[in-house]
Amino acid sequence: MKRNLLLVLAVMMVAVFGLCFNATAEEGVTDTEIHIGQWGPQTGPAAPWGAVARGTDAYFKMINADGGIHGRKIVHHYFDDGYNPAKTKAGVKQLQEEIGMFAWVSGVGTAPGLAVKDYLMDKKIPWIGPSAGSRHWIQPPNKYLFNTYPLYLGDAQLLVRYAVNTLGFKRIAIAYQNDDYGKQGLEGAQKQLAKSGLKLVSELPVNVADTDMKPHIMKFKKSKAEAILLFVGPGHVARLQGTAKAMQFAPQWMSTTTCGDHPLMMAITKGLYAGTISAAFGLMDPSAVGLGNKADFMKPTLPSMVKFKKDGYDKFAAKEERWGSTFCAGMGYVEPFVEALKRVGRDLTREKLVAEMEKIQNFHSSMGTVSFKPFDANDPLCRIGQQEVFLLRAEADGTSTILTDWFKTEFIPMDH
Amino acid sequence: MDMKRDYYEDVQVFTSKVIVFWLGVLILALAIFPFVAKNYYVYVANYMAINVIVVVGLNLLVGYTGQISMGHAGFFAIGAYGTITLMTQAHFPFLLALPCAGLVAALFGFLLGLPALRLEGPYLAIATLGFGITTTQIIGKIKIFGERQGLHAPDLTIGPWHIQTDKDFYFVLIPITILLVLLARNIVKTKVGRAFISIRDADIAAETMGVNLTFYKTLAFAVSAFYAGVGGGLYAFVLRFIEPELFNMFMSIMFLTMAVVGGLGSMMGPVGGACLLGLLDLQLRNILEIPYFGQWIKALSESYFTMTGVSNIQLIVFGLILILIMLFEPLGIFGIWIRTKKYWKMWPF
Repeated sequence: MKRNLLLVLAVMMVAVFGLCFNATAEEGVTDTEIHIGQWGPQTGPAAPWGAVARGTDAYFKMINADGGIHGRKIVHHYFDDGYNPAKTKAGVKQLQEEIGMFAWVSGVGTAPGLAVKDYLMDKKIPWIGPSAGSRHWIQPPNKYLFNTYPLYLGDAQLLVRYAVNTLGFKRIAIAYQNDDYGKQGLEGAQKQLAKSGLKLVSELPVNVADTDMKPHIMKFKKSKAEAILLFVGPGHVARLQGTAKAMQFAPQWMSTTTCGDHPLMMAITKGLYAGTISAAFGLMDPSAVGLGNKADFMKPTLPSMVKFKKDGYDKFAAKEERWGSTFCAGMGYVEPFVEALKRVGRDLTREKLVAEMEKIQNFHSSMGTVSFKPFDANDPLCRIGQQEVFLLRAEADGTSTILTDWFKTEFIPMDH
Repeated sequence: MDMKRDYYEDVQVFTSKVIVFWLGVLILALAIFPFVAKNYYVYVANYMAINVIVVVGLNLLVGYTGQISMGHAGFFAIGAYGTITLMTQAHFPFLLALPCAGLVAALFGFLLGLPALRLEGPYLAIATLGFGITTTQIIGKIKIFGERQGLHAPDLTIGPWHIQTDKDFYFVLIPITILLVLLARNIVKTKVGRAFISIRDADIAAETMGVNLTFYKTLAFAVSAFYAGVGGGLYAFVLRFIEPELFNMFMSIMFLTMAVVGGLGSMMGPVGGACLLGLLDLQLRNILEIPYFGQWIKALSESYFTMTGVSNIQLIVFGLILILIMLFEPLGIFGIWIRTKKYWKMWPF
């Protein structure tokens, strides 16, 4: 009898310890910590985008200062990959295999992300909010990969629609960066114009290393373009606008979300950016500000942004850090992830996180309204949470005038 | 460096039994390595091995033939795209697609070698640099290569063996690397190698002696490009995704730097250079984790640099290592090896 009792007790103890072990056995989760990984270039030509990782870091520190999530602090491991995919893969593998990340967030760049996508997905490690508007994240969709960044295609759709329907332009041209980002803009513009029976009057590629924009402006001038779409980086926008001014050419400039930081753009173009229409997908709410009204990015009005500036940026950002859209995007991309962590509760596992991510509906983040769907291998849209953009006009005083309300963009699948 | 007593001693691939012994030890260590090392270090080893292949090939061109190339990223890209395209479009098995892609790269190497007949020094450097940049631009426009959106590597199988992990790939990559290094060593010991060296040392004298400059210079480019092409084909499977921007000018410069730091005109030097710089490239990210030194670096960078200073420190340390090696040992890692060897041979004198 006594022997049987001991046996039952032993079985019960094993079961209880087994359950306890299971409850805390998820990789990257301890009783007091959740380990989260992220990469982002802090050096090299893509270093300006490194502010995303620093923004996320300040956001996580703010959350920790507020008590963490269900008694756990977020331990944020971010590293510099210099936008080199070989380094991205090395860093991700090392952190994953030596420390063990519960999940990965953001991560700048299409190529670096694609170098680690299969690795993370094969291991069923959630990756939320890649910091690039690439179709590779959702086509084909992956159960553990959630995209919160609207595709660049959408910028082109709304910019062209506004140029044709509201401004009445018929002659539209594009300067596009010679990569995935620029090509998406080109494709989106071509397909949107075709709906109105129009074609681009000029489409000029810009290589990252190009410095002389005179040939581009001469061709744009010759094509009598009324509006020029800018699917290039901030530096090339400054060069194109400077060269156009010198050559007395003044079209309507229309830019993407990547040049949506108006105070920054006004500074680097020495004021030439005034009047440029740019797309945006967050950090302010056009519905709340109102059409035709001015918004000042430096004085945020969204409650989440106001708090982040006071409790995140002011307290945890390095003193040289600029309050800019790239830095703030670091918070915006991961807000749905933090929301899902909160919803999961204390018993945190990857599967439960994915289940809660899928339940996110109409979540008002700093980067627009986010909704996901249950996983469907045939539906790329089940893994893109945000597809809305709106338009702003840069004003000479550094503020922005709201031109449109949120616009839901249309997904165009890749050919291959 | 050792005195040779006859012709046959000079043409031997392995000059002594001691070298054969140590090569055996090295191969044994390499075979054991993935079973004792963490998976991350196996990935690092794969990355280093690819650099070894490219740099050993580049050394045949730069170190042995005296020609310069700042466009090897172009050949590397041709190999990477060629391998994936041959596998996905022509359904070649990997072990056939890889050398075929290498041969395509070699063909382009041969073509680039033609203008090299009339160009030297900085002019040749610029011409090859232009080749590297142009190649990626052209690839970015071709639909079959995925244009600017890049290509995913297909699943890798060799016969019944499905290669999925870094460890699996290690056992494909390391034998190829050893084979190619031995092949390079053999080339150097043959008539071809001697022709390369004679062109490097005095091309006019070589021509007077009957060395066909046109043939051997273009051959050096082709062989070197073949190595880069094979390296590129393997690289595509290490990353599993390629796009034109990966194969940039910096990559070409990095390959050349590895060859120079290792020691031009030697075989083990470039192997050492590729391993050292490949390792530093990936590992300097962890510089802050070095006890005491890491903390000191962090405090220093926070005091005197911007918020990204810590990251920039990696590049400064990288540059400093290159400067120190070149300053104190112009022959590179090979020079250090030679001096160490001499020291032990002469010991205790």
